[in-house]
Amino acid sequence: MNAIVAVPAGQHHIGFGVLLLAILVLGGLGWGATRLVGRTRSLRPLSPRTPSAEPAVPRPDPSQQSATEPALATPPRRAPASLPRPDGGWAVETHGLTKRFGPTVAVDGVELLVPRGSAFGYLGPNGAGKTTLIRTLLGLTKANAGTMSLLGTPVPADRRTALARVGAIVDEPRFHPHLTGRDNLRLLAAARGGDAGQRIDPSLARVGLADRAGDKVATYSMGMRQRLGVAACLLADPELLMLDEPMNGLDPAGMHEMRAMIASLADEGRTVVLSSHLLDEVERTCDAVAIVDHGRVIRQGPIDELIRGAGAMVVEVDCAEPVRAKQLIDEAGIAAGTALAHTGLTVTLPAGASREAVADLNRRLVRAEIDVYGLREVQTSLEDWFLSVTSRLGEAS
Amino acid sequence: MTTTEPSLSEAGSAPAPGRRGTPALGAWLPTWNLITTKNLEIRKRRGLMITMVVLIVLPTVLVLGLRLLFHAVDPHSYGPAGTPALFSQLTNLMAEFGFIAAAALGAAAGTTDLSDGVFRHLVITGRSRLALYLARIPAGLAITIPLVALVFAMNCLVTSYQGTPSATSVGLYGVNVPEHLDQAGLQTWLLQHPQQAASGLPIGPVNTNAITPAQIRPVIEKNIASLYDNYVADEISGSNPAVNEMAKIGLWLELEVGIGFLVGLGLGSLTGQRTTTTIVLIALEIIVTPVLAHAQIPYFINGQRLVIGIAMDQLRPAALAPGTSAGGGGPGHVLFGGRGALGIPPMPTWAMISVIVGWIVGWSVIGAWRMMTRDA
Repeated sequence: MNAIVAVPAGQHHIGFGVLLLAILVLGGLGWGATRLVGRTRSLRPLSPRTPSAEPAVPRPDPSQQSATEPALATPPRRAPASLPRPDGGWAVETHGLTKRFGPTVAVDGVELLVPRGSAFGYLGPNGAGKTTLIRTLLGLTKANAGTMSLLGTPVPADRRTALARVGAIVDEPRFHPHLTGRDNLRLLAAARGGDAGQRIDPSLARVGLADRAGDKVATYSMGMRQRLGVAACLLADPELLMLDEPMNGLDPAGMHEMRAMIASLADEGRTVVLSSHLLDEVERTCDAVAIVDHGRVIRQGPIDELIRGAGAMVVEVDCAEPVRAKQLIDEAGIAAGTALAHTGLTVTLPAGASREAVADLNRRLVRAEIDVYGLREVQTSLEDWFLSVTSRLGEAS
Repeated sequence: MTTTEPSLSEAGSAPAPGRRGTPALGAWLPTWNLITTKNLEIRKRRGLMITMVVLIVLPTVLVLGLRLLFHAVDPHSYGPAGTPALFSQLTNLMAEFGFIAAAALGAAAGTTDLSDGVFRHLVITGRSRLALYLARIPAGLAITIPLVALVFAMNCLVTSYQGTPSATSVGLYGVNVPEHLDQAGLQTWLLQHPQQAASGLPIGPVNTNAITPAQIRPVIEKNIASLYDNYVADEISGSNPAVNEMAKIGLWLELEVGIGFLVGLGLGSLTGQRTTTTIVLIALEIIVTPVLAHAQIPYFINGQRLVIGIAMDQLRPAALAPGTSAGGGGPGHVLFGGRGALGIPPMPTWAMISVIVGWIVGWSVIGAWRMMTRDA
């Protein structure tokens, strides 16, 4: 059948619609190609943040913060760049990293240095910008300013190389619920490429999910999903693990197991960055910490050093005649404060006091013929330190 | 976490860090593994697969199955299962439902990583986002194309082997005319048989007993176009499509369904909303396109032609598009045997190809761009 279509006269000329079509198609192709080429090129490095170049950004109103969040206004910015560079280099290094969502600054000029091989806590209250920082580091969202590197590799310029050695859980670990745990890992291993596929079974065994790997994720408990998330991290055989609130939703037994898991990963020499708002959790798990609030890192360093330099030493004195002992110490002026306690008294020594001050305290009590049954230095916890830091900052405001 | 679950701290065999080279990431082409696992992810969606089967497979299987059964039980009351008209109806139905099913599949493929929260895991792997997007295309098409091919093959087989015997002539206004004639051939045959033409064809008052070719020639030449339209329509409705025609129809059908998937994938990636995407594309297929294909809007005909369904209707193979008396559609060789099912004047072939390619490439680019720029 070789008929010819009867096309009315005037229908073959290039009319408005055809012209519009051509423009749309060509324009769309050109624009899309430009975007694709732009993406496949090395992403341009972010310019370092300088105070003069920083546009005026409205700060979140502190009065809008939750009552449970400490009021931290304009904290002094610590520049950790003076820290000695560890032998292995930094696992995470950021300078002036900034991320904004409209008028809100979620990450505000963060200077962060995480030593390799450490268990590092990124500690702050809810809404402090912890997750946003991790998302920015991992390329899940773009930074507005600053520079960053993972394992010595600049990101986002060489993000693919950097992420090949990074495993991460961001927010709660979520998976395709209709797939089994193993199939979910197969999907992620296929995306990773390399020999990630060979690590599926060892990773599942490592997190204790080998027996349930064939079950759909929809049937998993929260704890099992967290462990599957860790297994997903292990597919990368990571040198750096970034775990965002890994204890969320876990019961005490689950938290204990997760804690042990993190410790074992750190013991293997992997760097673990643990983001959490749980002070106790970070103190138990990590050996260094950064305190963040309102998107800013306000303190960072080894936990021991931070606590030791945080302030006064408190000594519990178990003795006879606590009232006379208190009077004696007050008159001697060797303590920043004293208070009667149930079995004696509590003496707060001045900031920076050494152990010699404790011995001096003991000598004075003995010379005054007050029986001393025991002296015990009260360990300052990370929580105490955190509160002292935040309260000091609150006073400063 | 229950206490029956194994301990996290059990010694495992995860390899120590830093002992292997960086995998070759970053290639924008998806790997075979990535495609097959994405295909697995889609295939395992039971509800989606049921929808696909209900929309693509079930109508054809049900109709043909019942007709085969009835004919087998009572061949005197029920004719053969396959007829040219039924073949055309079932194929057109498959095209409509197939587009919708494929669009739903594309929307799911484009959105479920986001909605399930897996997209961020995939991004963290360092794999190129473009590769992640491109992997979805073969993964999805590997489901739609075989499914449609299977059902269409069933339709072809029943029509060819369990259908009515093909007519050897075309009944044009009661005149038995040989089949497979082109317009010139028809004209020649009518001139060679002036009495039959004069007695049967609506060519005006003539003396049928004494008519000569010279007398009837001007009348036939004047009406040959409309006569040929009806001849082709009668031929199509009375004959099973030839094998090459079936192949063309199959390719057209796959193209229709493939476009549905790609548009669904692109729009789904753009919106991130599976339901919205599916509803929009259903509305496009069953409301917007039919309206625009059958009614010419003054001063907007070229705008109408930008709709993918219009271009695909123009490309619709002849056996699926019996001639229409209204508008400029109707019988005619447009491209690859297509003849159009339009109620509006057809567009130039290059414009039709541009519209089809534009929709495929355009939506793919838009979907890929959104996936590459989206916050994970």
